[in-house]
Amino acid sequence: MIEVSGLRKAYPGVVALDGVSLQIRPGEVVGLAGENGAGKSTLLKALVGLVRPDEGTISVRGRQVRLRGVAEAAAHGIGMVFQEQSLVPNLTAAENILLGCEGSGVRLGVYRWRRLRELAQAQLDKIGSRVDPMARTETLSFAERQMVEIAKVLAIEERTKEPPVVLLDEPTSVLETEEIETLFAQIERLRKHASVVFVSHRLDEVLQVCDRVYVLRGGQVAGEIDPATADAADLHRMMIGTEATGSHYHDDLHTPPERESVRLSVRGLCGDGFSDVSFDLARGEVVAVAGVHGSGREELCRALFGGRAITAGQVELDGETVRLSSPRDAVRAGLGYVPSERKVEGIVAAMSVAENMALPHTGALAREAQAVEEWIERLRIKTPDRHTAIGTLSGGNQQKVVLARWLLTGSLRVLLLDHPTRGLDVGAKSEVYRLIRDLSASGVSVLMLADSLEECIAMSDRVLVMKEGRVTMTLHTPPGAKPDPVELVKEMV
Amino acid sequence: MAERIQTYGPAAALLALVAVFAVLSPQFRTLGNLQNLLDAGAVLAVVTIGATYVLILGCIDLSAAGVMGACALAVSLLVANSRTALDLGPLGVLLVVALGAAFGCLSGVLSVGLKVPSFMTTLGVSAIGLGVATVLFAGVQPTVSDPWLLQWASGRWLGFTRLTYLALATVALAWLVQRYTRLGRYALAIGGGEDILRLSGIRVGRYKVAAFTLAGACYGLAAVMITAQLGSGIVQAGAGLSFAAITAAVVGGTQLAGGRGGVAHSMVGVLILTVLANGLVLIGVSPYAQRAVQGVIVVFAVGATLWPLRHRLEVVK
Amino acid sequence: MAVAAHLPDRRLLVVTAMPVAAFLVLLAALAAASPGLLEAGSLLTLADSAAPLTVLAAGATIVVLCGGIDLSVAALASLASVLLASWAPGLHGWAVPAVVTLCALAGAVQGLVHVAFRIPSFVVTLGGMTLWSALALLASGAATVPMPDSTPTDWAFTRLGGLVPSAVLVALGTMAALAALLRVTPLGRWVRAVGHAEPAARLAGLPIARIKVIAFALSGGTAGLAGVLLVARTFSGAPTLADSLLLPAVAAIVVGGTAITGGHGALWRTLVGAGIVTLLRVGLSYAGVDAAYESILYGVLVVGAVALTIDRSKVSIVK
Repeated sequence: MIEVSGLRKAYPGVVALDGVSLQIRPGEVVGLAGENGAGKSTLLKALVGLVRPDEGTISVRGRQVRLRGVAEAAAHGIGMVFQEQSLVPNLTAAENILLGCEGSGVRLGVYRWRRLRELAQAQLDKIGSRVDPMARTETLSFAERQMVEIAKVLAIEERTKEPPVVLLDEPTSVLETEEIETLFAQIERLRKHASVVFVSHRLDEVLQVCDRVYVLRGGQVAGEIDPATADAADLHRMMIGTEATGSHYHDDLHTPPERESVRLSVRGLCGDGFSDVSFDLARGEVVAVAGVHGSGREELCRALFGGRAITAGQVELDGETVRLSSPRDAVRAGLGYVPSERKVEGIVAAMSVAENMALPHTGALAREAQAVEEWIERLRIKTPDRHTAIGTLSGGNQQKVVLARWLLTGSLRVLLLDHPTRGLDVGAKSEVYRLIRDLSASGVSVLMLADSLEECIAMSDRVLVMKEGRVTMTLHTPPGAKPDPVELVKEMV
Repeated sequence: MAERIQTYGPAAALLALVAVFAVLSPQFRTLGNLQNLLDAGAVLAVVTIGATYVLILGCIDLSAAGVMGACALAVSLLVANSRTALDLGPLGVLLVVALGAAFGCLSGVLSVGLKVPSFMTTLGVSAIGLGVATVLFAGVQPTVSDPWLLQWASGRWLGFTRLTYLALATVALAWLVQRYTRLGRYALAIGGGEDILRLSGIRVGRYKVAAFTLAGACYGLAAVMITAQLGSGIVQAGAGLSFAAITAAVVGGTQLAGGRGGVAHSMVGVLILTVLANGLVLIGVSPYAQRAVQGVIVVFAVGATLWPLRHRLEVVK
Repeated sequence: MAVAAHLPDRRLLVVTAMPVAAFLVLLAALAAASPGLLEAGSLLTLADSAAPLTVLAAGATIVVLCGGIDLSVAALASLASVLLASWAPGLHGWAVPAVVTLCALAGAVQGLVHVAFRIPSFVVTLGGMTLWSALALLASGAATVPMPDSTPTDWAFTRLGGLVPSAVLVALGTMAALAALLRVTPLGRWVRAVGHAEPAARLAGLPIARIKVIAFALSGGTAGLAGVLLVARTFSGAPTLADSLLLPAVAAIVVGGTAITGGHGALWRTLVGAGIVTLLRVGLSYAGVDAAYESILYGVLVVGAVALTIDRSKVSIVK
């Protein structure tokens, strides 16, 4: 059906796809597994024309194609069910299913609602869905909307007259257990009409549903796994590989936390996405929070920085209760935050390095300039000077500036790191790790959401595992006694 | 619950207003006042239809005042009048509606083509319209002498003027377009999720321009109606109507963010504003105070529709 | 990142060179058409006529730098003129600070409504525009309010040393004071950060709500001051006195090169912009073009300048 060969896509500083080749055969369910940043989503986006590869080819039914958008991909019979759902909320399910290709449902620009309904119903019937095609999409549940999306992708068949390829990007991440069972039943039905590419963080699911699994690592196909003979541990081992060593994480700079002096104490914290979360953070301790998408760890991290509402529970900092109703409160209390979306939430691209570093600063400008120079030097930030627009620096240097923002005043007590190494190359990652080690040694406590399990275990003194909004396990990970990532995975899913 | 309030709230508010004024003013309860009320609301209704088509997209149209000024002058010069020798009659009216549509099209093309926010382009187009009106005005007010056009506002049939029937017909047509045509449904969809339509390969720009054009045509028609009422073409024909129309649409439940509401909702808003204006005059409130009320109402109405969304982290500029 | 990397250069070139060049070309063209123009006297008269517009646009520029817009400034200036003319007999010299403070408060209220209810600024200020002009009509009875004793505003319409119009100094002083405020305090950096990337500014712990309210208050305050300048030269207040200045004011801001998407821009640009707008207006009348075309000119100017200066990397969907 689809043959991908030598696909390559590079972004400044990162190679997302590095010569990926794979095949998808008719009526087959193919799994894609890999850690964050392994290239899964870039590959999917390339297959639906949202990303244009730098090199390599995509062939559909033996013909080489160049895809320049979702609509063109659909014309070739490839459709994607997006993680963040791509339905127009205020239209009916039927309109969404047939959006842009209403066929005989619209004549001369005039809607024939009855015909439209029949056409949509035919698609829903393929997966045996009982969703009312005339229901407004926003009134449906998430699982129902997912069925509508699948029906929408299946409607491609009406145009190409060939079985389509359906790409499912993390379809189970926000579904309840029963809904997941239903979805898997649908995927079985789908085989009759289409080929399926299934992407999920949950390795057991991948193994359960797929005929074959491709494992991606660092933008390359690390190997192919036959679910009949392999288990989650095999899969995970292949996902991680043996890339990094202790020196990458600067293990030698590790300092043990001062266990007896509690810096941050969180008790019974509740909010949207997490509930009843309690933990302590000692002086100089690095705690990583592990969890799959939807575990609530991102939400927790945001809430601790005042970026999301806290509905119950309390937070104490060095023994004093603090109110965190806005990021401003958090900054004043001595918290710092490095967001995962660096370009949107971390930096102000058009402003200078100095201005970005001193953004929350209110003191005298002369002293500020001096402090900025000092931190540029101490963190070895590569920039022509402090007046250079930060948008022109590399990702790693931008990240250092964001970190320096919290060090400038010297009042930092707790640093919250949300995927601090996302999108950075190996060298830059290592420098960020070193910085984290230095901060921890100076007594700053760090709460970190790691980009990969390996990073999570390597950098932390302790790991909190979160599942469905709650902390389900605490794992001590001191140097020399690091657990196997596979154990952690079992706890996470 | 919140959705219920947004759907039925405006209608309930309308009924409450009618009840209050009916108690406060005996004059409000008369049949004659009902005729006045509908006649007074006719022009606003047509302008609001136009504004609604643009609001549904998630855009905004501030050009009604300027476009109507230009169209009012144009129609008074094209039909039998005191200044030119032209006497085009119905053809003149059609030409003016087309002129309005052309202004709307210009707003749409500028917004879509230059990627400039619509409040800015339509503010500019409004200024252009006012300029054109002033140029056409040339210091001498044209008086309409075409009996056919003047009949629109003066002649009555079953107690109502032709303007009222014309407005009702426009409302019905606009409702049908919104419910049964691709333009109407896609306009709604653009307001709901423009990026999704783009992903589906739909040429969003065309439908946007079409919606703006339709809005312009409505303003053209409204300008003809107002000229029929006044008997002469004036530059200020549409003064204040841009804002009144947006207020009416938003008060009726057509959301500024796009994708919600529609012609039916907006018409409830038109009735609310018209009843309010009529009632306040009858109980002796200054018309300037009414404008002040309008300014507060629109902010309040927008605030009310956005209130459920206030916790989202999206940036509001 | 790649976009951000080469964006500033091109932008800076277009956005900095063009307004200044346009201003100089216009000045040269006008001077060629009427040689007397370059004499100090006529230049100062020209500057004097640009003063109210400049003051009106000054505060509004800060709102635009935040990424918002204030459409209420002209209506607020009209209201200020009515209030000043009505209060001057009673309050004498205190009428001016009272009116300016009140307008700043009115601006702050609009800012508060904008941030507290999360309503887009153009809607709040459109509502404000209607409200202020209605209040002006109510307060004045829809008529011009004469000011029999002009002493409280004489300072704003006189010529220092018989030559330099005081209004020009007021305008330049206002600009300088605001520019200094943005320079010396972190406000300037904060305003630009909010305009460029509000999410990042928020997560850096900036007091976003306070920054925006201050911007709107400054905009209201300068609108009030513009109203004072207008009263000084007409010896009366009127409910629609400044209304026709809204579009020229917006034009002055954007023609100077400040992007309505926020962040990019500066106060001095508005000064240049006001110069361009004024020269164009004068130029049109020199060229014998009917004043009726002025409005068309402003419309084209605003749309054109916005289209040239807007930061398209920031707007994925244009509403």
